[in-house]
Amino acid sequence: MRRSHEPIAWSLFGAGGMLLAFIGPGLVLSTALLPWLAAENPAAAHAAIGALLAHPLGKLLVLACIALPLFHTLHRICHGLDDLHLPAPRLPLQLLCYGGATLLCAVTAWWLLTSIPA
Amino acid sequence: MRKPYVQRQRADWWLRNPAYRRYMLREATALPLFLYTLLLMSGLYQFTRGEAAFLAWLELLRSPWLLALHGLALAAALFHAVTWIALVPKILVIDTDRLRVSPGAIKRAHQLGAVVCNIGLLLLVVVLLSNAGGH
Repeated sequence: MRRSHEPIAWSLFGAGGMLLAFIGPGLVLSTALLPWLAAENPAAAHAAIGALLAHPLGKLLVLACIALPLFHTLHRICHGLDDLHLPAPRLPLQLLCYGGATLLCAVTAWWLLTSIPA
Repeated sequence: MRKPYVQRQRADWWLRNPAYRRYMLREATALPLFLYTLLLMSGLYQFTRGEAAFLAWLELLRSPWLLALHGLALAAALFHAVTWIALVPKILVIDTDRLRVSPGAIKRAHQLGAVVCNIGLLLLVVVLLSNAGGH
């Protein structure tokens, strides 16, 4: 039998769903308020975010907050388009969704690891 | 082998039943949340380009379009959180001879955890950034 990619896709979907349920609303509200919270001293806010991004655990946290929601949402969009009877073959759509999520996740990891001084 | 019978489904199958409409609305929460994740990525990218670029991104967040995206993403995240946690007891079943936890207790524990984590994260961000502004 051919091996299915579904367990991997579903694990990442599940992890992303749990992450979004536990910190999604708080994260969205935080970034919505960010310009006002940082208004008093923008340089200090930049330094505080820089300190988070410089720490290895901070990098891991930020990567999780971007990568897992990417896999979660693109999995749902992929299946949602199928539910809507999108008149397109399934395989290219899956390649686009899961490949896109993997690519965006790799780009994020690249930025975190190479472009931000530790 | 005989040709298998495939039942035809209309493309608008989900419009007729309120439960199917709620299902599609739940699945649709993925779209604003995906756009929001791209917004987070853009913030990270601007951060890698230096302080001026990041502060310009921060000012961009005040624009009505991005505030609207934040509002939509917040509604989507809340609807996702409620529906996701409602499904947890159907997937996480603890029913053995040694340990038995009722589905209601599993749901309430996850609801409590989600409320604490979400409010905790928001408070952490507010406190850390207001401290950063004070010095």
